[in-house]
Amino acid sequence: MAIGVVTVKRPPERWSSSQPYFAILKGLGVSIRHFLHNLLLFARGQQDFTVHFPEQRLVQPPAMRGMPVLVQMDNGKERCVACGMCEWACPTNCISIFPAETNDEVERYPEVFDIDMSRCMFCGFCEEACPEEAIVMSRQIEIASYSRRGSLWHKQDLLVPVAELKTRLDHLRRQYEH
Amino acid sequence: MSDLVQKNRVAPNNQRGPAARRADFDDLHTEPMHIQMGPSHPAMHGTVKIELDLEGEEVIDADVQIGYLHRGFEKECETGFLYQNIPYTDRLNYSSPVLNNVGYCLAVEKLFGITTPPRCQFIRVIGGELSRMADHMLALGASAMELAAFTPMLYLLEARELLLDQIDAICGARVTTNFTRIGGTLDLPEGFAAFAVERLDRALRLTADADKLLTDNPIFRERMQGTGRMAGKDLLAWGVTGPVLRAGGVPYDVRRATPYLIYGDLDFDIPIGEHGDNFDRYLVRMEEIRQSCRIVKQCLERLPDGPVNSDDRRVKWPPKRKVFGQMEELIDQFKLVLEGGYPPAGEVYHAVEGANGEVGFYIVSDGSGRAWKMRCRSPSFSNMSPLKHMLIGGQLADVVPTFGMMNMIGGECDR
Amino acid sequence: MSTEAPPSDAEKPQLSPLMVKVNARLAPLILEHREFRGDDRIHVARENILAVAGVLRDDPELAFDLLLDVTAIDYYGQPDDFELRREVWDRDHVTMRRLPRRRNLMALPEKGPHPRFAVVYHLISTSHLHRLRIKCRVPEDDPRIASLTPVWPGANWLERETWDLYGIRFEGHPDLRRIYLYDEFEGHPLRKDYGKLDEQPIQAYVGPGAKEPRRPE
Repeated sequence: MAIGVVTVKRPPERWSSSQPYFAILKGLGVSIRHFLHNLLLFARGQQDFTVHFPEQRLVQPPAMRGMPVLVQMDNGKERCVACGMCEWACPTNCISIFPAETNDEVERYPEVFDIDMSRCMFCGFCEEACPEEAIVMSRQIEIASYSRRGSLWHKQDLLVPVAELKTRLDHLRRQYEH
Repeated sequence: MSDLVQKNRVAPNNQRGPAARRADFDDLHTEPMHIQMGPSHPAMHGTVKIELDLEGEEVIDADVQIGYLHRGFEKECETGFLYQNIPYTDRLNYSSPVLNNVGYCLAVEKLFGITTPPRCQFIRVIGGELSRMADHMLALGASAMELAAFTPMLYLLEARELLLDQIDAICGARVTTNFTRIGGTLDLPEGFAAFAVERLDRALRLTADADKLLTDNPIFRERMQGTGRMAGKDLLAWGVTGPVLRAGGVPYDVRRATPYLIYGDLDFDIPIGEHGDNFDRYLVRMEEIRQSCRIVKQCLERLPDGPVNSDDRRVKWPPKRKVFGQMEELIDQFKLVLEGGYPPAGEVYHAVEGANGEVGFYIVSDGSGRAWKMRCRSPSFSNMSPLKHMLIGGQLADVVPTFGMMNMIGGECDR
Repeated sequence: MSTEAPPSDAEKPQLSPLMVKVNARLAPLILEHREFRGDDRIHVARENILAVAGVLRDDPELAFDLLLDVTAIDYYGQPDDFELRREVWDRDHVTMRRLPRRRNLMALPEKGPHPRFAVVYHLISTSHLHRLRIKCRVPEDDPRIASLTPVWPGANWLERETWDLYGIRFEGHPDLRRIYLYDEFEGHPLRKDYGKLDEQPIQAYVGPGAKEPRRPE
């Protein structure tokens, strides 16, 4: 177990290495091998590497961080209590929350919950800071819009039913267990 | 006329300064051609401008101008909490972001005086070395493409994708990783070792293909051999680190000089070159890909179980389960998010070996949750400063391989 | 809040082997020596920096052949390093919680009477593998220090950067231009009194294709 030092060796100057034709043949050999390999897989209906987006999609790992969304409980309301932790933890200040009070069991809720998706950098600190599991990073990645106003997401656009976020919530509980 | 040609031919390239070379033009009734390469030039990966004075094909003066990607990283870091700066470090060297995350977190942990648990250190090394391989693959592929070798770039980028898949599986992003936390890291997913070994082997096979296409190719060697040469002594004086310095024969690698994490216990080699030219830089990078692969495999074999976060309450955000249920942990969570954790006042510098050289973070803390001064010692910046002297005396066509092998990353150079 | 006490004079740890060597050569020129988390640093008067750097590079026992970094710190007139005055800064923790939510409106402490800047050099020796940090305080009204380019040519760009971002002049530098920002930039952005959201005047484009200035009607 040691860190050694090794000198890199140049390939020797052979006669063949001064001939461009040999290099061309060698290069063609490598390329044709790749070509045949891919062709064989294509004929079999398997694909080695390329994914034809959007008809095919990659299988994203559970750790994937897409757009932050709000968890919608079964009664249709958001789980968020507008404590403002995500607003503080956000490095880019892209979240803005205005809290309000109700007479429900949970007395606080966000009257306004806006995320400026043109500023968001998908770091995931909002979900890590949240003490209520109310904001999580979803798998939603198609969030482009034609105007700046379109990239401002309001509370109603951000709510996602809790059943659809099960993978992420499970991952979160495992990731931040310790 | 033939005298003049003769005189210009014998010009000993590096020895004569630009002023002496300019004096040659007095007889010629002309002046050097002044061209601007960049800031957005097809052969300049990274936004940088090089103003060149040419005499025919020979470069007699060069001025490297950077700053097109300056975003105020240090100013931004001085106004954010220490934990909030981790995602910004992704954007320094965006082709090997994990190494920057690790370097920054190690600096902050040194400030706090925290040692992370062994499993965390192993995971950091795995992520860092995967990142280093990915960075070298991009550097080699891009410079091969600039020398008109398109196929190796495709293979190397495919190999890079296979490595990024592994980073993606750990942290959920390919480039904007946010891999580490202060005092911890993200844990590996289940079944990671088998997945990683399979991908690594495929990536290595693809790298071997690219190696086969490039290393013995006469055209590639002619462009790379003997160009951009600088001796190891000069490289040191100019503050160059990383593969470029090692290609000059100086075995300085932070992993070996001042071992951090678990590098002292691992078994690997530091490749060095003999000539200090572009071809040696290429070979050193190629060899480092293989050595990094060795490191990752060793780490996967020896990966211990246990926690991945230190239990230091000054930095560690409490477990989510307890935050939902218990008052003390909830208060802890609020205080850590809102105030960022208080380090002792003091100043530290911690360096890690990045893909291009020594990445150092210098943090001056006044004892509050924000750094009073935050400085990133970026290797690209120091490596670019002697570029002028590597170019002068060479041909215009040598600018491309030399610049490619310096592997300037704009985000890290300009910060 | 940290539980660690600041190092007092009585319980000062032993000097590291490096500092013993440095002291043997440079004792009269060193104003102060501090150690934190294993990082050695020496404080040097700015007039002596060139002499100190020469000894550090050329002495075979020290052999600092690699200049890693040159940067500056804007202490904004605070006495010296923060670890010696913890109590004052602890008071700031209390006020910090009441600061406005937007981080970029952070308040600065009051400017003190002490030299405002410190220029910081990081060195490493690739043969002995030891690291050292040098610090020089530089006053605000005369922000000048000798350039280290004669000793380590690699200081060239690093000093240009420090001039650009902090406005400290390096005397004897061969080519002291701004490096990141454009020449017309007003001020030096990493100084503490340059706000994060401060704006710059828009520069008129001069060059090929520029329009004639519009005449008053």
